[in-house]
Amino acid sequence: MLQAKGITKKYGGQIVLQNASLEINNEIKALIGINGSGKSTFLKIIAGIVSADQGDVLLNNCNIIKLPPESRNVGYVPQHPALFQHLTVKENILYGMRNGKGTIETYNQIVEMLDLKEVLTKSPRTLSGGFQSRASLARALVPQPKILLMDEPLSSMDVVLKERILPDFRRVLKKLEIPVLYVTHDPWEAELLADNFAIMDNGQISQVDTSTEAFELIRTSMARGRSF
Amino acid sequence: MSKEVVKIFFLPLFVILIIFPVLALVINLSMEGIMATMADPFFWNSVKNTLIAALLAAGLALAVAVGFAYYHLFYRDSIVYKIANLFNDLPIALPHTVAGLALLLAFGRKNCGFLGETGAAFTLFAVILAMFFVSYSLAARTLVSGVNQMEPEVIDVARTLGDHPGKVYFRIVLPLMGEALFSGFVLGFSRSLSEFAAVIMFGGNMPGRTQVLASYVFTKVETGDLDMAVTAAVFCVALSLLIVSVLSFRRRSYAAS
Repeated sequence: MLQAKGITKKYGGQIVLQNASLEINNEIKALIGINGSGKSTFLKIIAGIVSADQGDVLLNNCNIIKLPPESRNVGYVPQHPALFQHLTVKENILYGMRNGKGTIETYNQIVEMLDLKEVLTKSPRTLSGGFQSRASLARALVPQPKILLMDEPLSSMDVVLKERILPDFRRVLKKLEIPVLYVTHDPWEAELLADNFAIMDNGQISQVDTSTEAFELIRTSMARGRSF
Repeated sequence: MSKEVVKIFFLPLFVILIIFPVLALVINLSMEGIMATMADPFFWNSVKNTLIAALLAAGLALAVAVGFAYYHLFYRDSIVYKIANLFNDLPIALPHTVAGLALLLAFGRKNCGFLGETGAAFTLFAVILAMFFVSYSLAARTLVSGVNQMEPEVIDVARTLGDHPGKVYFRIVLPLMGEALFSGFVLGFSRSLSEFAAVIMFGGNMPGRTQVLASYVFTKVETGDLDMAVTAAVFCVALSLLIVSVLSFRRRSYAAS
């Protein structure tokens, strides 16, 4: 279980996150907000890539806020697949094992589930967008992280491909029973993947029941000229 | 209209100020000069010294630049980085005679007397250090530019997969910076080839021992052997053109891949 409590972050004089809190149990949670709302910053604070000015991040009741990313045991799937271009797909997926994270059994299971067998020996630059996203997810899953953080990993894909790939992702993530925080600006994408939803509004996070409610809140907030 | 104005100014200025001086060297080549230079063992010795010293200086410059780029990537707020960054541009602004004098005082008889009568000065090692001093900043700037072009997410992902900054740098960043590493080395090498003032101040100009191509040309002009000076100078031009061509070819290959 992950608990982020009272996360505050300023860039220069501008407040990006203000006392933002979120709890994720064994579920896929979508954090929805428009671009520039601070949702990626929130995710990067949990990953340890960006430091928080205030607040705590508890992973299974252990405060990890002061730990560097390599010691946090979190998986990270960024906006672009960010595959290591000098390595093959297989070497990318096995990368965590160089640092003693994950097992060959998990690797085999994830490669099978994500249908990556046929591209393992290829260079990442030869893959289609769909396979790159699958490889990026597999690389984050093999080390068996305690939570998976996904930062709009399909934002550059067209709708048809997203519609095909998101149910696959959901099936894999549910089977592995891994808690997921999925950041997106697209309520439809959230609906296809997530169990429940939260929105980011003015640097704060609030829980909503459905993606439709999230969409309505975003629309209302934008109409009011709020930053979201 | 403005494009045409640029064309009108560019071409004549480029031809007169860049092409013409190089052509002047080639035009003044003489068979006697070529024969005498090719038969001069000190010429070949200066070629050997130049290539060895420039290669080692460029290698050293690249090694130190790799360290600087590491600080640039991971520790930009550190005092070490801020000081290193300030000193990085010093060799560009500093007269190279001053650089040579600084090296002489730092590594000469006074501080490094245990190395010999003149310390490290007036040896091939001194030539390498002088070349390094003036070429390092070019290599460092090139590597920093390469680091800046890296996709930050690649580094972030490697960190979450268990790599500390040192591991990310050697396993991910450097292997992906092949072009910057190559360019940094070649630029450092070519800058080292062309150095004269710092080399002559710290390394001296001893034929057969510390003389390099630049100081060989200077000596031949000074002693009135202009034909030999021109031959050695054209040799330098050919060497420089070869390096520039290799650099350009590699850049095109990387761009294509």
